[in-house]
Amino acid sequence: MSDRSAALRLPRLAAHELVLLVILIVALAVLAALSDRFFTLDNLLNQGMLMTEVGLMAMPMTFVIVTGGIDLSVGSALGMCAILLGYSWHNWGFPLPLAIGFALLAGAAGGFVNGWFITRLNVPPLIMTIATLALYRGLAEGISQAHSVRGYPDWFYGLGQGALFGVPSQLWLFFAAILVFGVILGFTTFGRALRAIGFNETGARFSGVPVDRIKLIIYTASGTMAGLAAWIFVSRVSTTRSDMGTGMELDVIAAVVLGGTSIFGGVGTVFGTVLGLLLIQLLKDGLALTGVKGDATIMVIGTVLIASILVTSFAERRRDAARASNPRSPRATTTEGRETP
Amino acid sequence: MPPTEPPIAEQAPRAGDRMSAAAQQPVLALEGVTKSFPGVQALRGVSFDILPGEVHALLGENGAGKSTLIKIMSGVHHADGGTMRLDGQPIRLGSPLAARAAGIATIYQELLLFPELTVAENVFMGHAPRRRWGALDWPAIRERTRTLFAALDINDLDPAQVVGALSVGNRQRVEILRALSQDARILVMDEPTAALTEHDVARLFAIVRRLRARGVSIVYITHRLEEVFALADRVTVLRDGEHVATRPVAETDRADLIHMMVGRRIESLFPKTAVKIGPPVLELRGLSRPPLTRDVSLTVHAGEIVGLAGLVGSGRSELAQAIFGATPATGGSILVNGQAVRVRSVAEARRLGIAYVPEDRATQGLIRPMTVRENTSLAVLSDLARLGFIDRAAEARLAQETVAQFGVRTAGIEQVVGRLSGGNQQKIVLGKWLAAKPKILILDEPTRGIDVGAKAEIHRLMSELAGRGLAVLMISSELPEVLGMSDRVLVMRDGALAGAFPRAEAAQERVAAAMMGGA
Repeated sequence: MSDRSAALRLPRLAAHELVLLVILIVALAVLAALSDRFFTLDNLLNQGMLMTEVGLMAMPMTFVIVTGGIDLSVGSALGMCAILLGYSWHNWGFPLPLAIGFALLAGAAGGFVNGWFITRLNVPPLIMTIATLALYRGLAEGISQAHSVRGYPDWFYGLGQGALFGVPSQLWLFFAAILVFGVILGFTTFGRALRAIGFNETGARFSGVPVDRIKLIIYTASGTMAGLAAWIFVSRVSTTRSDMGTGMELDVIAAVVLGGTSIFGGVGTVFGTVLGLLLIQLLKDGLALTGVKGDATIMVIGTVLIASILVTSFAERRRDAARASNPRSPRATTTEGRETP
Repeated sequence: MPPTEPPIAEQAPRAGDRMSAAAQQPVLALEGVTKSFPGVQALRGVSFDILPGEVHALLGENGAGKSTLIKIMSGVHHADGGTMRLDGQPIRLGSPLAARAAGIATIYQELLLFPELTVAENVFMGHAPRRRWGALDWPAIRERTRTLFAALDINDLDPAQVVGALSVGNRQRVEILRALSQDARILVMDEPTAALTEHDVARLFAIVRRLRARGVSIVYITHRLEEVFALADRVTVLRDGEHVATRPVAETDRADLIHMMVGRRIESLFPKTAVKIGPPVLELRGLSRPPLTRDVSLTVHAGEIVGLAGLVGSGRSELAQAIFGATPATGGSILVNGQAVRVRSVAEARRLGIAYVPEDRATQGLIRPMTVRENTSLAVLSDLARLGFIDRAAEARLAQETVAQFGVRTAGIEQVVGRLSGGNQQKIVLGKWLAAKPKILILDEPTRGIDVGAKAEIHRLMSELAGRGLAVLMISSELPEVLGMSDRVLVMRDGALAGAFPRAEAAQERVAAAMMGGA
């Protein structure tokens, strides 16, 4: 192949993303046929609004998982930021804009703490973020003492309930985040470094990639996005409670993994994550509209997750078998480049 | 000591066996086997046979098709064409399991053992003797492990030992035992001595001879020609996927084999040419990072190749990684072009013009699941980017140039690096660091595990780079390489410098003596 075509080609659509796209279209068609309220602009925009918080957190989560890490603390961080926003305004007398800034900063700090322990003290991300999952939720509950905060001024609801050019305000933020994170992962040195770290951290280090700094940045970004999601969440539901965001980390991670990002690192795209988010949200909504109960909806989503991964790994095995060329050992295809700690 | 001269004394009395062997029916015979992968014709009509109780060496440069051939024999790959006969009967090996069942066992370079389990558990993993209700029959397992030990005259291994605590040589013996416990008649060994100490090599040879005496046929892949002469009965040479020749070892010699492998006579393996030595480029003054780097002072000049000899574990790689900033030094100073500098990270080292080609290609040198393009650009990615955006065209150009300049055999720049052969992977590592235009090049075992042709190419390249004024520090465990390539030889022992020899005074015995210490 000529180097021109290689240079100009956009990041390829992985098999997994194509599979997802097909599933998504089929799901859309089926749900639209089952309920006449599903495929309407109003409903779709409303669904977009509902998925924004999870979606925003799924962006940095894609980065974190691409490096082979995980951030389980985002749901708790959202709760903590929401409480700090409400309490600093209501109880501590912060002006509301300052309270918002404070909440975002608290999210960033929460993420930074994760990143610091993970890079400086080599705490495994799973352990570290399980610990802060408990810690940040505990802080939220301790500060709020089970009291909720309501009665925000009208302008505050603009972000969560308002619209701009007919599209819910927070969706614009979400679009911007998709664009920014997608471009970073697909086209920049930072994105390339994330993948290199995910495949082989030692190799990346020995190539001069500032591994620790990059990890610190992405965990901080993850916390910051949890803060932003907290602001949107509070603005959307008009109240602040300490249990906000409970279990949300699993929705975020499910979307990222469904989107084809490998939990082992190195592989993943923002586009895939967006497909994952859309599929989960539309299934939830569509099934609810057609009268399926909540529990059954969750089961359907679990089944779709398993099915999509099966289809992809089947396709990959076929492809590998077709072109397996010169691995050093039969295991090489699964273990190559992965360092042993 | 590098494993240079394995014991050769025992090779003489076998000439008679070989003559009678010629009349025997092969245990396994491959005829006209072809295999292609997208973009690569790996095997073109290769024929290969193994007689009962012979050691058959398989030689060839990296990419010659050795790995593909043994993978076909061991059921990992399926041939596109040609036939395979076991005891004269055509067979088709559908999977590694089928090959095992047919009595063909393969020992790969990466040993596939369970480090947390004991020797006996590893040996019988998957086919342990059972009692009623499927419970494991532990007394029988222990008993049969001991029988196997006795068969191979192994008396220094404990069946209850955990495999993870064993040396590489011992783990390899466990793999051999494992193969034997499944009644393997054909044992395929892929570069078994690549990671062994000299002592382990001698023990391995003893085992291989013992196996042969028991009638086991052995396919032995190696890059070390001495081993062919010490061990093998016949040798087959492959080149570019084609069968070049199969000869009794007694009827060939070293030059002949090299000629067959590379298709040309190599005048000298170590073509270091004399160049003008310039001013000092790299100076270390009392560099320390205990325990493996202790008060090291040395100077490397422009145009000079300084060889760093020493035993495995003497601290050579650790010193290199301290200079390179991967594990920054804790004491002493580094001067580059006479200026005192601090190297706290790899990125800083790169900016100072220091490049390090590590010994461990798989984890330190390359990101193997990434493509040739992504690997060649990784160390210089920021130079190929504007405002953080990678210039894909420039990146592709760099990769194309690297592939062309080093003659890398690859299907293209979008090929995944892990699928290239060892020598080609090493060329990518070198190319990746030369793209950073270094002034100081540290090479850690630059030719380990790569074939004669690629080795000569890398030596020629080193010479050329020194000629262009690079300061080269070369770590090598092969004394002939150190002595042939270096302007000066430094010796490390226990983390400190233990000797320095100008080229003229660097005799093999003196350097070796400095490596081993006075004791």
